[in-house]
Amino acid sequence: MSATREVISSGNDLAAMAAVDAGCRFFGGYPITPSSEVMHTISDLLPKVGGAAIQMEDEIGGVAAAIGAGMSGVRTLTATSGPGISLKAENLGLAQMAEVPLVVINVMRGGPSTGLPTRVAQGDVAQAKNPSHGDYKSITLCAGNLAECYTETVRAFNLADRFMQPVFVLLDETIGHMHAKAIIPTEEAVKEGIVPRKTFDGAPEDYLPYGVEQDQPAVLNPMFKGYRYHFTGLHHDASGFPTEEIETCRKLIDRLFRKVEEHQGEIELNEEYMLDDAEILLIGYGSASLAIKEAVDVLRAEGVKVGMFRPITLWPSPEKRLHELGQKFDKILSVELNQGQYLEEIQRSMGRLDIAKLTKTNGRPFSPSDIIEKVKEL
Amino acid sequence: MSRIVMRFTGVGGQGVLLAGEIFAAAKIKEGGFGVKTATYTSQVRGGATVVDIQLDDKEIFYPYAIDGQIDFMLSVADVSYQQFKNGVKDGGTIVIEPNLVHPTEEDRKRWNIIEIPIITIAKEEVGNVITQSVVALAIANRYTNALDEKLLVDTMLSKVPPRFHELNKKAYELGKKYANEAMAEA
Repeated sequence: MSATREVISSGNDLAAMAAVDAGCRFFGGYPITPSSEVMHTISDLLPKVGGAAIQMEDEIGGVAAAIGAGMSGVRTLTATSGPGISLKAENLGLAQMAEVPLVVINVMRGGPSTGLPTRVAQGDVAQAKNPSHGDYKSITLCAGNLAECYTETVRAFNLADRFMQPVFVLLDETIGHMHAKAIIPTEEAVKEGIVPRKTFDGAPEDYLPYGVEQDQPAVLNPMFKGYRYHFTGLHHDASGFPTEEIETCRKLIDRLFRKVEEHQGEIELNEEYMLDDAEILLIGYGSASLAIKEAVDVLRAEGVKVGMFRPITLWPSPEKRLHELGQKFDKILSVELNQGQYLEEIQRSMGRLDIAKLTKTNGRPFSPSDIIEKVKEL
Repeated sequence: MSRIVMRFTGVGGQGVLLAGEIFAAAKIKEGGFGVKTATYTSQVRGGATVVDIQLDDKEIFYPYAIDGQIDFMLSVADVSYQQFKNGVKDGGTIVIEPNLVHPTEEDRKRWNIIEIPIITIAKEEVGNVITQSVVALAIANRYTNALDEKLLVDTMLSKVPPRFHELNKKAYELGKKYANEAMAEA
Protein backbone atom coordinates (compact mmCIF):
# COMPACT_ATOMS: atom_id res chain seq x y z
CA MET A 1 0.00 0.00 0.00
CA SER A 2 1.76 3.11 -1.21
CA ALA A 3 -0.53 6.12 -0.80
CA THR A 4 -0.67 7.36 2.78
CA ARG A 5 -2.28 10.09 4.88
CA GLU A 6 -1.46 11.69 8.21
CA VAL A 7 -4.05 11.63 10.98
CA ILE A 8 -4.05 12.70 14.63
CA SER A 9 -6.06 10.20 16.59
CA SER A 10 -6.18 7.49 19.25
CA GLY A 11 -5.72 3.75 18.78
CA ASN A 12 -9.36 2.91 19.45
CA ASP A 13 -10.61 5.55 17.01
CA LEU A 14 -8.13 4.37 14.38
CA ALA A 15 -9.33 0.78 14.75
CA ALA A 16 -12.94 1.87 14.22
CA MET A 17 -11.98 3.96 11.18
CA ALA A 18 -10.01 1.05 9.75
CA ALA A 19 -12.96 -1.30 10.10
CA VAL A 20 -15.22 1.01 8.13
CA ASP A 21 -12.57 1.67 5.46
CA ALA A 22 -12.02 -2.10 5.14
CA GLY A 23 -15.69 -2.56 4.32
CA CYS A 24 -17.12 -3.50 7.72
CA ARG A 25 -20.83 -2.71 7.72
CA PHE A 26 -21.99 -4.22 11.00
CA PHE A 27 -20.93 -3.87 14.61
CA GLY A 28 -22.49 -5.82 17.44
CA GLY A 29 -21.17 -5.33 20.94
CA TYR A 30 -21.43 -4.02 24.44
CA PRO A 31 -19.32 -1.18 25.87
CA ILE A 32 -16.44 -2.00 28.20
CA THR A 33 -13.40 -0.01 29.32
CA PRO A 34 -10.87 0.41 27.75
CA SER A 35 -12.43 -0.54 24.39
CA SER A 36 -15.59 1.60 24.50
CA GLU A 37 -14.31 4.26 22.08
CA VAL A 38 -14.19 1.66 19.30
CA MET A 39 -17.95 1.23 19.73
CA HIS A 40 -18.62 4.97 20.16
CA THR A 41 -16.74 5.85 17.00
CA ILE A 42 -18.04 3.07 14.80
CA SER A 43 -21.61 3.84 15.96
CA ASP A 44 -21.07 7.28 14.51
CA LEU A 45 -19.38 6.12 11.29
CA LEU A 46 -21.41 3.09 10.21
CA PRO A 47 -24.82 4.76 9.66
CA LYS A 48 -23.11 7.27 7.33
CA VAL A 49 -22.06 4.47 4.97
CA GLY A 50 -25.28 2.45 5.13
CA GLY A 51 -24.08 0.14 7.89
CA ALA A 52 -25.46 -0.55 11.34
CA ALA A 53 -24.07 -0.70 14.86
CA ILE A 54 -26.04 -2.20 17.70
CA GLN A 55 -25.49 -2.28 21.43
CA MET A 56 -26.88 -5.65 22.50
CA GLU A 57 -28.07 -6.71 25.95
CA ASP A 58 -24.64 -8.04 26.89
CA GLU A 59 -21.30 -9.23 25.49
CA ILE A 60 -22.76 -12.59 24.46
CA GLY A 61 -25.53 -10.92 22.48
CA GLY A 62 -22.96 -8.60 20.90
CA VAL A 63 -20.87 -11.36 19.38
CA ALA A 64 -23.94 -13.40 18.48
CA ALA A 65 -25.32 -10.48 16.46
CA ALA A 66 -21.93 -10.01 14.78
CA ILE A 67 -21.79 -13.71 13.83
CA GLY A 68 -25.30 -13.47 12.40
CA ALA A 69 -24.25 -10.52 10.26
CA GLY A 70 -21.20 -12.49 9.14
CA MET A 71 -23.48 -15.33 8.01
CA SER A 72 -25.38 -12.88 5.82
CA GLY A 73 -22.14 -12.05 4.00
CA VAL A 74 -21.33 -8.72 5.64
CA ARG A 75 -17.93 -7.80 7.03
CA THR A 76 -18.57 -7.64 10.75
CA LEU A 77 -16.87 -6.51 13.96
CA THR A 78 -17.17 -6.80 17.69
CA ALA A 79 -14.92 -5.00 20.16
CA THR A 80 -14.40 -5.63 23.83
CA SER A 81 -11.86 -6.14 26.58
CA GLY A 82 -10.75 -9.33 28.38
CA PRO A 83 -13.85 -9.93 30.53
CA GLY A 84 -15.93 -9.55 27.37
CA ILE A 85 -13.89 -12.21 25.57
CA SER A 86 -14.54 -14.56 28.50
CA LEU A 87 -18.26 -14.04 28.01
CA LYS A 88 -18.10 -14.34 24.22
CA ALA A 89 -15.99 -17.48 24.37
CA GLU A 90 -18.67 -20.04 23.51
CA ASN A 91 -19.87 -18.14 20.47
CA LEU A 92 -16.30 -17.58 19.31
CA GLY A 93 -15.98 -21.38 19.27
CA LEU A 94 -19.13 -21.57 17.17
CA ALA A 95 -17.62 -19.16 14.65
CA GLN A 96 -14.44 -21.27 14.53
CA MET A 97 -16.39 -24.48 14.02
CA ALA A 98 -18.93 -23.17 11.51
CA GLU A 99 -16.25 -20.97 9.84
CA VAL A 100 -17.84 -17.55 10.07
CA PRO A 101 -15.51 -14.62 9.36
CA LEU A 102 -15.51 -12.01 12.09
CA VAL A 103 -13.05 -9.49 13.51
CA VAL A 104 -12.74 -9.26 17.28
CA ILE A 105 -10.88 -6.28 18.74
CA ASN A 106 -9.70 -6.83 22.31
CA VAL A 107 -8.33 -3.74 24.05
CA MET A 108 -6.55 -5.46 26.94
CA ARG A 109 -6.76 -4.35 30.57
CA GLY A 110 -5.63 -5.88 33.87
CA GLY A 111 -7.15 -9.25 34.80
CA PRO A 112 -8.21 -11.88 35.73
CA SER A 113 -11.90 -11.16 36.31
CA THR A 114 -12.77 -7.46 36.63
CA GLY A 115 -9.10 -6.75 37.39
CA LEU A 116 -7.93 -3.21 36.70
CA PRO A 117 -10.49 -1.79 34.27
CA THR A 118 -8.71 1.44 33.37
CA ARG A 119 -5.16 0.13 33.38
CA VAL A 120 -2.89 -1.56 30.92
CA ALA A 121 -1.97 -5.24 30.64
CA GLN A 122 -1.17 -7.84 28.00
CA GLY A 123 -2.85 -10.62 29.92
CA ASP A 124 -5.10 -11.95 27.14
CA VAL A 125 -2.40 -13.33 24.86
CA ALA A 126 -2.87 -16.94 25.95
CA GLN A 127 -6.65 -16.47 25.94
CA ALA A 128 -6.55 -15.28 22.33
CA LYS A 129 -4.89 -18.56 21.32
CA ASN A 130 -7.68 -20.66 22.81
CA PRO A 131 -10.62 -18.53 23.96
CA SER A 132 -13.12 -21.37 23.55
CA HIS A 133 -13.01 -25.09 24.24
CA GLY A 134 -11.94 -27.56 21.59
CA ASP A 135 -9.30 -27.61 18.89
CA TYR A 136 -8.87 -24.86 16.33
CA LYS A 137 -6.12 -22.56 15.15
CA SER A 138 -6.34 -18.94 16.27
CA ILE A 139 -5.27 -16.02 14.13
CA THR A 140 -4.28 -13.14 16.40
CA LEU A 141 -2.69 -9.85 15.38
CA CYS A 142 -1.25 -7.34 17.84
CA ALA A 143 -0.82 -3.62 17.15
CA GLY A 144 2.47 -2.17 18.42
CA ASN A 145 1.90 1.48 17.52
CA LEU A 146 -0.93 3.81 16.52
CA ALA A 147 -0.63 3.22 12.78
CA GLU A 148 -0.94 -0.52 13.33
CA CYS A 149 -4.26 -0.05 15.16
CA TYR A 150 -5.42 0.90 11.69
CA THR A 151 -3.37 -1.39 9.44
CA GLU A 152 -3.77 -4.52 11.57
CA THR A 153 -7.54 -4.04 11.75
CA VAL A 154 -7.64 -3.79 7.96
CA ARG A 155 -5.46 -6.89 7.70
CA ALA A 156 -7.72 -8.74 10.14
CA PHE A 157 -10.76 -8.20 7.92
CA ASN A 158 -8.90 -9.51 4.87
CA LEU A 159 -7.59 -12.53 6.79
CA ALA A 160 -11.04 -13.29 8.24
CA ASP A 161 -12.53 -13.52 4.75
CA ARG A 162 -9.55 -15.45 3.42
CA PHE A 163 -9.51 -18.04 6.21
CA MET A 164 -13.21 -17.93 7.17
CA GLN A 165 -12.83 -17.65 10.92
CA PRO A 166 -12.67 -15.08 13.73
CA VAL A 167 -9.49 -12.98 13.68
CA PHE A 168 -8.38 -11.22 16.86
CA VAL A 169 -6.78 -7.80 16.95
CA LEU A 170 -5.14 -7.16 20.31
CA LEU A 171 -4.72 -3.57 21.44
CA ASP A 172 -4.16 -2.56 25.02
CA GLU A 173 -5.16 0.37 27.22
CA THR A 174 -1.99 2.32 26.42
CA ILE A 175 -2.21 2.03 22.68
CA GLY A 176 -6.02 2.26 22.55
CA HIS A 177 -6.06 5.55 24.42
CA MET A 178 -2.80 7.24 23.37
CA HIS A 179 -3.32 10.20 21.12
CA ALA A 180 -0.76 11.25 18.53
CA LYS A 181 0.15 11.27 14.85
CA ALA A 182 -0.22 8.21 12.68
CA ILE A 183 0.68 7.71 9.03
CA ILE A 184 -1.87 5.31 7.59
CA PRO A 185 -2.90 4.12 4.12
CA THR A 186 -5.49 6.14 2.23
CA GLU A 187 -9.04 4.84 2.08
CA GLU A 188 -8.54 4.14 -1.63
CA ALA A 189 -5.42 2.07 -0.97
CA VAL A 190 -7.34 0.03 1.61
CA LYS A 191 -10.24 -0.51 -0.81
CA GLU A 192 -7.84 -1.73 -3.51
CA GLY A 193 -6.50 -4.35 -1.12
CA ILE A 194 -9.89 -5.87 -0.27
CA VAL A 195 -10.39 -9.41 -1.55
CA PRO A 196 -14.01 -10.45 -0.99
CA ARG A 197 -14.64 -13.88 0.45
CA LYS A 198 -15.10 -16.75 -2.00
CA THR A 199 -18.61 -17.71 -3.02
CA PHE A 200 -20.06 -20.65 -4.91
CA ASP A 201 -21.96 -19.72 -8.07
CA GLY A 202 -22.93 -23.15 -9.43
CA ALA A 203 -26.35 -24.78 -9.16
CA PRO A 204 -27.80 -24.49 -5.62
CA GLU A 205 -28.35 -28.28 -5.46
CA ASP A 206 -24.60 -28.84 -6.02
CA TYR A 207 -23.56 -26.50 -3.19
CA LEU A 208 -21.44 -28.14 -0.46
CA PRO A 209 -20.09 -25.30 1.74
CA TYR A 210 -17.72 -27.51 3.71
CA GLY A 211 -16.76 -29.79 0.80
CA VAL A 212 -13.36 -28.19 0.20
CA GLU A 213 -9.71 -29.27 -0.03
CA GLN A 214 -8.04 -30.20 3.26
CA ASP A 215 -6.00 -26.97 3.38
CA GLN A 216 -8.88 -24.66 2.47
CA PRO A 217 -11.58 -22.83 4.42
CA ALA A 218 -15.30 -23.38 3.90
CA VAL A 219 -17.04 -21.47 1.10
CA LEU A 220 -20.07 -19.94 2.78
CA ASN A 221 -22.45 -18.11 0.48
CA PRO A 222 -24.42 -15.33 2.17
CA MET A 223 -27.63 -16.61 3.74
CA PHE A 224 -30.95 -15.74 2.07
CA LYS A 225 -29.53 -15.64 -1.47
CA GLY A 226 -30.90 -18.94 -2.68
CA TYR A 227 -28.11 -21.22 -1.47
CA ARG A 228 -29.34 -23.30 1.46
CA TYR A 229 -27.05 -25.00 3.89
CA HIS A 230 -27.11 -26.24 7.43
CA PHE A 231 -25.26 -24.23 10.08
CA THR A 232 -24.16 -25.89 13.31
CA GLY A 233 -21.57 -26.08 16.06
CA LEU A 234 -21.76 -29.87 15.90
CA HIS A 235 -19.25 -31.83 13.85
CA HIS A 236 -20.64 -31.66 10.35
CA ASP A 237 -20.22 -33.05 6.86
CA ALA A 238 -19.68 -31.26 3.54
CA SER A 239 -23.29 -30.04 3.48
CA GLY A 240 -23.12 -28.70 7.04
CA PHE A 241 -25.40 -31.36 8.56
CA PRO A 242 -24.32 -32.98 11.85
CA THR A 243 -22.47 -36.26 11.60
CA GLU A 244 -20.56 -38.65 13.82
CA GLU A 245 -18.95 -40.49 10.92
CA ILE A 246 -15.40 -41.22 12.13
CA GLU A 247 -13.34 -40.09 9.15
CA THR A 248 -15.48 -36.99 8.46
CA CYS A 249 -15.08 -35.85 12.07
CA ARG A 250 -11.30 -36.34 11.97
CA LYS A 251 -10.94 -34.51 8.69
CA LEU A 252 -13.01 -31.54 9.83
CA ILE A 253 -10.76 -30.62 12.77
CA ASP A 254 -7.65 -31.50 10.79
CA ARG A 255 -8.79 -29.02 8.14
CA LEU A 256 -9.43 -26.24 10.70
CA PHE A 257 -5.73 -26.55 11.53
CA ARG A 258 -4.31 -27.11 8.07
CA LYS A 259 -6.17 -24.21 6.44
CA VAL A 260 -4.10 -21.92 8.69
CA GLU A 261 -0.86 -23.87 9.15
CA GLU A 262 -0.26 -24.53 5.48
CA HIS A 263 -0.65 -20.86 4.60
CA GLN A 264 1.15 -19.27 7.52
CA GLY A 265 3.22 -17.19 5.09
CA GLU A 266 0.08 -15.18 4.30
CA ILE A 267 -0.44 -14.43 7.98
CA GLU A 268 2.95 -13.99 9.64
CA LEU A 269 4.27 -10.46 10.16
CA ASN A 270 7.16 -9.34 12.37
CA GLU A 271 9.27 -6.27 12.97
CA GLU A 272 13.02 -6.46 13.51
CA TYR A 273 14.56 -3.32 15.00
CA MET A 274 18.35 -2.86 15.13
CA LEU A 275 18.87 -6.63 14.99
CA ASP A 276 21.58 -6.95 12.32
CA ASP A 277 24.62 -6.33 14.52
CA ALA A 278 22.90 -6.87 17.87
CA GLU A 279 24.43 -9.00 20.61
CA ILE A 280 21.42 -8.93 22.97
CA LEU A 281 17.93 -9.77 21.76
CA LEU A 282 14.81 -8.20 23.28
CA ILE A 283 11.46 -9.73 22.38
CA GLY A 284 8.20 -7.89 22.98
CA TYR A 285 4.94 -6.90 21.31
CA GLY A 286 2.10 -4.40 21.59
CA SER A 287 2.60 -1.28 23.66
CA ALA A 288 5.53 -2.84 25.56
CA SER A 289 7.51 -2.49 22.32
CA LEU A 290 7.25 1.33 22.57
CA ALA A 291 9.27 1.25 25.79
CA ILE A 292 11.60 -1.38 24.30
CA LYS A 293 12.37 0.77 21.26
CA GLU A 294 13.13 3.77 23.41
CA ALA A 295 15.36 1.55 25.61
CA VAL A 296 17.17 0.17 22.53
CA ASP A 297 17.92 3.72 21.37
CA VAL A 298 19.27 4.74 24.80
CA LEU A 299 21.38 1.57 25.17
CA ARG A 300 22.74 1.89 21.63
CA ALA A 301 23.81 5.45 22.40
CA GLU A 302 25.77 4.00 25.35
CA GLY A 303 27.38 1.42 23.06
CA VAL A 304 25.31 -1.60 24.15
CA LYS A 305 24.37 -3.59 21.05
CA VAL A 306 20.74 -4.51 21.56
CA GLY A 307 17.97 -5.12 19.08
CA MET A 308 14.29 -6.00 19.17
CA PHE A 309 12.19 -8.73 17.59
CA ARG A 310 8.47 -7.94 17.63
CA PRO A 311 5.85 -10.41 16.43
CA ILE A 312 2.90 -8.50 14.96
CA THR A 313 1.08 -11.75 14.25
CA LEU A 314 1.13 -13.48 17.66
CA TRP A 315 -0.85 -16.57 16.62
CA PRO A 316 0.17 -18.60 14.78
CA SER A 317 3.54 -17.68 16.25
CA PRO A 318 6.62 -17.03 14.08
CA GLU A 319 8.16 -20.25 15.39
CA LYS A 320 10.71 -20.72 12.59
CA ARG A 321 12.10 -17.20 12.92
CA LEU A 322 12.12 -17.50 16.71
CA HIS A 323 14.03 -20.78 16.39
CA GLU A 324 16.67 -19.11 14.19
CA LEU A 325 17.02 -16.21 16.62
CA GLY A 326 17.36 -18.63 19.52
CA GLN A 327 20.39 -20.16 17.80
CA LYS A 328 21.95 -16.82 16.92
CA PHE A 329 21.65 -15.05 20.28
CA ASP A 330 23.07 -16.05 23.60
CA LYS A 331 21.41 -13.35 25.71
CA ILE A 332 17.66 -13.03 25.19
CA LEU A 333 15.14 -11.03 27.23
CA SER A 334 11.39 -11.40 26.86
CA VAL A 335 9.36 -8.33 27.92
CA GLU A 336 5.61 -8.68 28.56
CA LEU A 337 2.88 -6.99 30.61
CA ASN A 338 1.82 -10.37 32.01
CA GLN A 339 3.52 -13.16 33.93
CA GLY A 340 5.16 -14.61 30.81
CA GLN A 341 2.36 -15.86 28.57
CA TYR A 342 4.28 -15.55 25.32
CA LEU A 343 7.56 -16.55 26.96
CA GLU A 344 6.34 -20.15 26.93
CA GLU A 345 5.86 -19.93 23.16
CA ILE A 346 9.31 -18.39 22.73
CA GLN A 347 10.86 -21.19 24.82
CA ARG A 348 8.98 -23.83 22.83
CA SER A 349 9.97 -22.33 19.47
CA MET A 350 13.60 -21.84 20.45
CA GLY A 351 13.85 -25.21 22.17
CA ARG A 352 15.55 -23.66 25.19
CA LEU A 353 14.50 -22.50 28.62
CA ASP A 354 17.23 -19.97 29.47
CA ILE A 355 15.33 -16.89 28.30
CA ALA A 356 15.42 -13.99 30.76
CA LYS A 357 12.07 -12.34 31.44
CA LEU A 358 10.81 -8.94 32.48
CA THR A 359 7.15 -8.96 33.44
CA LYS A 360 4.69 -6.64 35.12
CA THR A 361 1.10 -7.21 36.23
CA ASN A 362 0.24 -4.19 38.39
CA GLY A 363 -1.60 -2.27 35.69
CA ARG A 364 1.31 0.08 35.05
CA PRO A 365 3.29 0.25 31.80
CA PHE A 366 6.98 -0.55 31.51
CA SER A 367 9.16 2.50 31.42
CA PRO A 368 12.27 2.41 29.22
CA SER A 369 14.41 2.56 32.37
CA ASP A 370 12.87 -0.73 33.65
CA ILE A 371 14.16 -2.39 30.49
CA ILE A 372 17.55 -0.65 30.46
CA GLU A 373 18.17 -1.76 34.03
CA LYS A 374 17.24 -5.37 33.28
CA VAL A 375 19.42 -5.50 30.15
CA LYS A 376 22.41 -4.32 32.19
CA GLU A 377 21.87 -7.19 34.64
CA LEU A 378 22.00 -9.85 31.89
CA MET B 1 13.80 22.09 20.07
CA SER B 2 14.59 19.57 22.77
CA ARG B 3 11.77 17.55 24.24
CA ILE B 4 9.18 19.37 26.35
CA VAL B 5 7.42 17.20 28.89
CA MET B 6 4.27 18.40 30.64
CA ARG B 7 1.84 16.79 33.05
CA PHE B 8 -1.70 17.98 33.81
CA THR B 9 -3.37 16.45 36.84
CA GLY B 10 -6.81 16.68 38.31
CA VAL B 11 -9.67 14.43 39.19
CA GLY B 12 -12.03 12.57 36.86
CA GLY B 13 -14.68 14.79 35.32
CA GLN B 14 -12.70 18.04 35.38
CA GLY B 15 -11.86 17.85 31.70
CA VAL B 16 -8.08 18.02 31.87
CA LEU B 17 -7.79 15.74 28.84
CA LEU B 18 -8.61 18.32 26.19
CA ALA B 19 -5.62 20.60 26.77
CA GLY B 20 -3.30 17.65 26.15
CA GLU B 21 -4.90 16.82 22.84
CA ILE B 22 -4.63 20.46 21.74
CA PHE B 23 -0.92 20.64 22.56
CA ALA B 24 -0.17 17.40 20.73
CA ALA B 25 -2.22 18.36 17.68
CA ALA B 26 -0.64 21.82 17.43
CA LYS B 27 2.88 20.40 17.61
CA ILE B 28 2.04 17.90 14.88
CA LYS B 29 0.62 20.69 12.72
CA GLU B 30 3.92 22.49 13.15
CA GLY B 31 5.62 19.44 11.63
CA GLY B 32 6.90 17.83 14.83
CA PHE B 33 5.76 15.03 17.08
CA GLY B 34 3.29 15.29 19.95
CA VAL B 35 1.90 12.53 22.12
CA LYS B 36 -0.82 12.65 24.75
CA THR B 37 -1.68 9.88 27.16
CA ALA B 38 -4.22 9.91 29.96
CA THR B 39 -4.32 7.67 32.99
CA TYR B 40 -7.34 7.51 35.21
CA THR B 41 -8.92 5.25 37.79
CA SER B 42 -12.09 3.20 37.57
CA GLN B 43 -14.00 5.74 39.65
CA VAL B 44 -16.35 7.73 37.41
CA ARG B 45 -15.66 10.98 39.27
CA GLY B 46 -13.15 11.90 41.93
CA GLY B 47 -10.27 9.57 41.02
CA ALA B 48 -6.83 10.99 40.30
CA THR B 49 -6.38 11.74 36.61
CA VAL B 50 -3.08 12.44 34.92
CA VAL B 51 -2.43 13.61 31.38
CA ASP B 52 1.10 13.42 30.01
CA ILE B 53 2.13 15.56 27.05
CA GLN B 54 5.41 15.21 25.20
CA LEU B 55 6.43 17.50 22.34
CA ASP B 56 9.55 16.98 20.27
CA ASP B 57 10.99 17.53 16.81
CA LYS B 58 12.11 13.89 16.83
CA GLU B 59 9.86 10.84 16.91
CA ILE B 60 8.57 9.82 20.34
CA PHE B 61 8.12 6.07 20.88
CA TYR B 62 7.30 5.76 24.58
CA PRO B 63 4.09 7.73 25.18
CA TYR B 64 4.28 8.44 28.93
CA ALA B 65 6.27 11.14 30.69
CA ILE B 66 9.21 9.66 32.56
CA ASP B 67 9.39 10.60 36.24
CA GLY B 68 12.19 13.07 36.84
CA GLN B 69 11.99 14.48 33.32
CA ILE B 70 8.84 16.60 33.65
CA ASP B 71 9.46 20.30 33.02
CA PHE B 72 6.03 21.60 33.85
CA MET B 73 3.06 20.32 35.84
CA LEU B 74 -0.34 21.86 36.37
CA SER B 75 -2.59 20.57 39.12
CA VAL B 76 -6.17 21.35 40.07
CA ALA B 77 -6.70 18.65 42.72
CA ASP B 78 -4.70 17.85 45.82
CA VAL B 79 -5.09 14.07 45.57
CA SER B 80 -3.40 14.01 42.17
CA TYR B 81 -0.88 16.74 43.07
CA GLN B 82 0.41 14.62 45.97
CA GLN B 83 0.46 11.46 43.88
CA PHE B 84 2.27 12.84 40.86
CA LYS B 85 4.42 15.78 42.03
CA ASN B 86 7.57 13.67 42.38
CA GLY B 87 7.73 13.19 38.62
CA VAL B 88 8.63 16.86 38.17
CA LYS B 89 12.35 17.55 37.83
CA ASP B 90 13.98 19.58 40.61
CA GLY B 91 13.54 23.28 39.88
CA GLY B 92 10.65 22.54 37.49
CA THR B 93 7.50 24.64 37.48
CA ILE B 94 4.25 23.50 39.08
CA VAL B 95 1.16 25.66 38.65
CA ILE B 96 -1.50 24.90 41.24
CA GLU B 97 -5.06 25.95 41.93
CA PRO B 98 -4.41 27.40 45.44
CA ASN B 99 -7.96 26.81 46.64
CA LEU B 100 -7.64 23.06 46.07
CA VAL B 101 -3.96 22.12 46.15
CA HIS B 102 -1.82 22.38 49.24
CA PRO B 103 1.93 22.04 48.74
CA THR B 104 4.31 21.68 51.70
CA GLU B 105 7.12 24.10 52.51
CA GLU B 106 9.62 21.50 51.23
CA ASP B 107 7.71 21.39 47.95
CA ARG B 108 8.07 25.14 47.61
CA LYS B 109 11.83 24.87 48.01
CA ARG B 110 12.17 21.99 45.57
CA TRP B 111 10.00 23.34 42.77
CA ASN B 112 8.94 26.68 41.39
CA ILE B 113 5.36 26.60 42.65
CA ILE B 114 2.99 29.17 41.15
CA GLU B 115 -0.49 29.80 42.48
CA ILE B 116 -3.15 30.67 39.91
CA PRO B 117 -6.85 30.17 40.76
CA ILE B 118 -7.61 28.43 37.47
CA ILE B 119 -11.05 27.14 38.39
CA THR B 120 -12.19 30.44 39.90
CA ILE B 121 -11.01 32.27 36.76
CA ALA B 122 -12.95 29.88 34.52
CA LYS B 123 -16.06 29.92 36.67
CA GLU B 124 -16.28 33.60 37.57
CA GLU B 125 -14.32 35.59 35.00
CA VAL B 126 -14.90 33.51 31.86
CA GLY B 127 -18.29 32.40 33.09
CA ASN B 128 -18.07 28.67 32.40
CA VAL B 129 -16.09 26.19 34.48
CA ILE B 130 -15.57 23.94 31.48
CA THR B 131 -13.17 26.51 30.01
CA GLN B 132 -10.61 25.71 32.74
CA SER B 133 -8.71 23.46 30.35
CA VAL B 134 -8.22 26.40 27.98
CA VAL B 135 -7.14 28.66 30.86
CA ALA B 136 -4.67 25.90 31.74
CA LEU B 137 -3.53 25.61 28.12
CA ALA B 138 -2.63 29.31 28.02
CA ILE B 139 -0.76 29.14 31.34
CA ALA B 140 1.18 26.03 30.30
CA ASN B 141 2.25 27.55 27.02
CA ARG B 142 3.26 30.81 28.68
CA TYR B 143 5.56 28.93 31.07
CA THR B 144 7.00 26.40 28.62
CA ASN B 145 7.05 28.53 25.43
CA ALA B 146 6.27 25.23 23.74
CA LEU B 147 4.38 26.52 20.74
CA ASP B 148 3.58 29.55 18.65
CA GLU B 149 0.53 31.14 20.26
CA LYS B 150 -1.48 31.63 17.08
CA LEU B 151 -1.00 28.00 16.06
CA LEU B 152 -2.07 26.83 19.51
CA VAL B 153 -5.15 29.06 19.64
CA ASP B 154 -6.20 28.07 16.10
CA THR B 155 -5.83 24.40 17.00
CA MET B 156 -7.87 24.94 20.15
CA LEU B 157 -10.64 26.70 18.22
CA SER B 158 -10.74 23.87 15.67
CA LYS B 159 -11.72 21.53 18.53
CA VAL B 160 -14.58 23.57 20.00
CA PRO B 161 -17.94 24.37 18.36
CA PRO B 162 -18.05 27.84 16.70
CA ARG B 163 -20.63 29.19 19.15
CA PHE B 164 -18.09 28.76 21.96
CA HIS B 165 -15.16 30.41 20.13
CA GLU B 166 -15.46 33.80 21.83
CA LEU B 167 -15.78 32.21 25.27
CA ASN B 168 -12.66 30.09 24.73
CA LYS B 169 -10.67 33.00 23.30
CA LYS B 170 -11.54 34.92 26.45
CA ALA B 171 -10.43 31.95 28.58
CA TYR B 172 -7.11 31.81 26.72
CA GLU B 173 -6.49 35.55 27.14
CA LEU B 174 -7.30 35.42 30.85
CA GLY B 175 -5.00 32.44 31.38
CA LYS B 176 -2.19 34.31 29.65
CA LYS B 177 -2.87 37.47 31.68
CA TYR B 178 -2.71 35.63 34.99
CA ALA B 179 0.45 33.79 33.95
CA ASN B 180 2.10 37.09 32.97
CA GLU B 181 1.16 38.62 36.30
CA ALA B 182 2.50 35.61 38.21
CA MET B 183 5.75 35.83 36.26
CA ALA B 184 6.07 39.55 36.97
CA GLU B 185 5.63 38.91 40.70
CA ALA B 186 8.30 36.21 40.79
